[in-house]
Amino acid sequence: MTPILELRNGTKEYRGVPAVKDVTFTLHRGEVHALVGENGAGKSTLTKMLAGVVTPTAGEVLLDGRATVLSTPAEALRHGIAMVYQETSLVPSLTVAQNLYLADKRFFHRLRGIYIAGQQFLQSLNFDVDPMALVSSLGAGQKQMVEIARAVHHNANVIIFDEPTATLTPEEKHQFFSLVDRLRARGVSIIFISHALEEALAIADRITVMRDGEHVVSDEAARFDRESIVRAMVGRSLSDELYGARARRSPREAREKVLSVQNLSMGKAVKNTSFSVFSGQITGVFGLIGSGRTEAAKVVAGVMKRDTFHGGQVRLDGRPVRYRVPRPAVRDGIVYVTEDRKLEGFFETMSIAENIHLSAVAGGRSRSRVISLREMKEIADTWIGALNVRAINGDARVIELSGGNQQKVVVAKALVQKPRLVIFDEPTRGVDVGAIAEIHQLINRLADEGIAVMVISSYLPEVLQLSDRILVCRQGRIVEEFAGDSADEETIMYAAVH
Amino acid sequence: MAIGFATKDRGGRRRNLLELVVMAVTAALFVLFAIGIEGFATPGNLGVVLSNSASLVILSCGMAVVIVSRGLELALIAEMVAGATTFSILINAGVGGPEALLLAVGAMALVGCANAWLIAYVEIPAMLATLASAMFVTGLVRYAVLGGEFLLLLPKSNPAVVLLSGDILPGVPAPVALMVAALVATGFLLRYSAAGRTIYAMGDNFQAARLGGLPVRTTTIVVYVFAALMALFAGLVTAAASGTVDFRTVTNGSLLFEVILVVVLGGIPLRGGRGGVRNIIVGVALIAVLRNGMTLMNVTTQMQDVIKGFVLIIAIVLDNYLNPRDTETDTAGDL
Repeated sequence: MTPILELRNGTKEYRGVPAVKDVTFTLHRGEVHALVGENGAGKSTLTKMLAGVVTPTAGEVLLDGRATVLSTPAEALRHGIAMVYQETSLVPSLTVAQNLYLADKRFFHRLRGIYIAGQQFLQSLNFDVDPMALVSSLGAGQKQMVEIARAVHHNANVIIFDEPTATLTPEEKHQFFSLVDRLRARGVSIIFISHALEEALAIADRITVMRDGEHVVSDEAARFDRESIVRAMVGRSLSDELYGARARRSPREAREKVLSVQNLSMGKAVKNTSFSVFSGQITGVFGLIGSGRTEAAKVVAGVMKRDTFHGGQVRLDGRPVRYRVPRPAVRDGIVYVTEDRKLEGFFETMSIAENIHLSAVAGGRSRSRVISLREMKEIADTWIGALNVRAINGDARVIELSGGNQQKVVVAKALVQKPRLVIFDEPTRGVDVGAIAEIHQLINRLADEGIAVMVISSYLPEVLQLSDRILVCRQGRIVEEFAGDSADEETIMYAAVH
Repeated sequence: MAIGFATKDRGGRRRNLLELVVMAVTAALFVLFAIGIEGFATPGNLGVVLSNSASLVILSCGMAVVIVSRGLELALIAEMVAGATTFSILINAGVGGPEALLLAVGAMALVGCANAWLIAYVEIPAMLATLASAMFVTGLVRYAVLGGEFLLLLPKSNPAVVLLSGDILPGVPAPVALMVAALVATGFLLRYSAAGRTIYAMGDNFQAARLGGLPVRTTTIVVYVFAALMALFAGLVTAAASGTVDFRTVTNGSLLFEVILVVVLGGIPLRGGRGGVRNIIVGVALIAVLRNGMTLMNVTTQMQDVIKGFVLIIAIVLDNYLNPRDTETDTAGDL
């Protein structure tokens, strides 16, 4: 039987850096196919090629055995391939029914008509969503239902889910799984990207594991168990060193209270939250996406402004501070290391050396008003050496480096400013396994040196491995605090979702 | 790599291919005009070409710095006219030359600060802020100073006219010297000053610049004050050459268009973060040669506008072809 969708020897490069290397992936008719792998393994890129979001640099997409060029998502949709993203692509200011019929060819719709049709259609799928409700008023799970309904409405026979369960509550997850079953019963083929291995094992017919942009193994789900998937994902026992067997060290003692945040509020993202960060130890912050952890950190670092009224207090060494822009925060020694380095981490037209040096200038570590090339080279060489950035030399552009080395440059940019409080937001996102270990070592060293370190991560093993104290963030609040050695995955996750 | 066309220079950086194309076209036009038009390739005419482009170069220096920082300065011509008017009115009122210049510089710095304040602190998009300030400044000066007139005649004794219509050194007209000074100042600012690195950083990735603690707000002030001062000097050069300050240059808009044309043709992309003095020279060279050649050929002003508009579109199409945009990796707001 020919597979309904196939990627043959697909390669995708971004500016010469391959995200997916020579991968062949097949999806059979009516199957649920789970795609697992670490962050940056190339899962998203692979599915984006199948959904026409990006075009392969090399290789071809076969639809029902015929080579097809899918150059836009709309074209893929015409061929019956729909992708459902983590962040939904619905228009929040329109109603559910309007969103469902948005991409229809008809130029003009009668509102009453689409509400009736929408109602019938949603019922036929057994979805409990009001077609007249505004999308902005729906929860994450319901939004996802609408996305799925839209895909089915467009007669999609292949639906790709990009980490569908990451933001769902347990009840919503349950609903989602029964939905997948119903879709499978209708003959829809499903690709399902997931971090949660138990989910993949439970609902998938087949599982494909990817690592570092390469295909590792594809097989029936029944032939896998948790251990064998993890082995395939990490490829070597390095992951055990990193996460599996936690270093049984006792937590570092807190020294001084560097940062204390009281009743901080910012819009809908951060609601009346309080926490403290101490020097000489690592404070881990765990929370799901959308729990307000990044926003709280950004308010502290002056990137965002807290509410004008009842916005709460931020104290640095007991002194109340309120930053309108990040610059004074940086000058006071608070540095935020971004979670999205491409968007706000570095300057792509500049070399590694220029990037690091400019950051030193910003941090007041270079007094001169005129740029000295010698000083630039000295500073850059020091940090390239200290962080083991692998590049030909300091003149290489940051954009040409691998994810891990890019991240090291971003970290160097922060450390060159000699901070007293460093906030790492997802420090190892899209970073290869080797570099993860180096970055973790570095973070530990910073805390040993007496710097106050805050690590925000949505990857539990990372939080557990690094933290001396763990704060759990949910719905804009810090809801729970654990000592680093007393917590385990289940209790933390429980606090984060309930 | 996707950018197969781009050549690499020392730092592994992409050289702008558009720049090379524009240089080649300029050279070709030069040869063509030299052969085809009598009196084009004479030292006298080339001197005229150089002198005539002085104010365009100075204006382009201001605009280039703004565009490298990913801003836009639509009030440039208004500032140029307002600056020249301020200076001349003060002279007419009996203020001494140096004092009048100092006051005019102060006034223009104030306008630049106001623009920068609107952009960096009130956070109004640069295009709207400078468009509004262009209208405001022109209207205010015409109403309050000229009493509704659009033309200000300068007496022959005006120090700007005296100074700028002569030679500073034998054979070096003052406008040309001022033009070179503007280029050197721009080059120093962009290349060697700490503020210049911040300007490139803001154009490259504003969020990263802000987040990294760079002084984005004060640098915005530096950028727009620099532009306003360049406009003032360009205004003095133009006023001295024509003996008048003509407010119609603001309203007919073709000078502003020419300045943007120079910057874009020279290879400074509107998305910012790239380009330098060399690009200004390349852009001006083409426009100056084209303008002079067309005038010598008795092409009407209207037809010249048609050709210039056409050249800009060709340049943008060519740029898109030579440096294909990768929609997948574009940052928001790219032009």
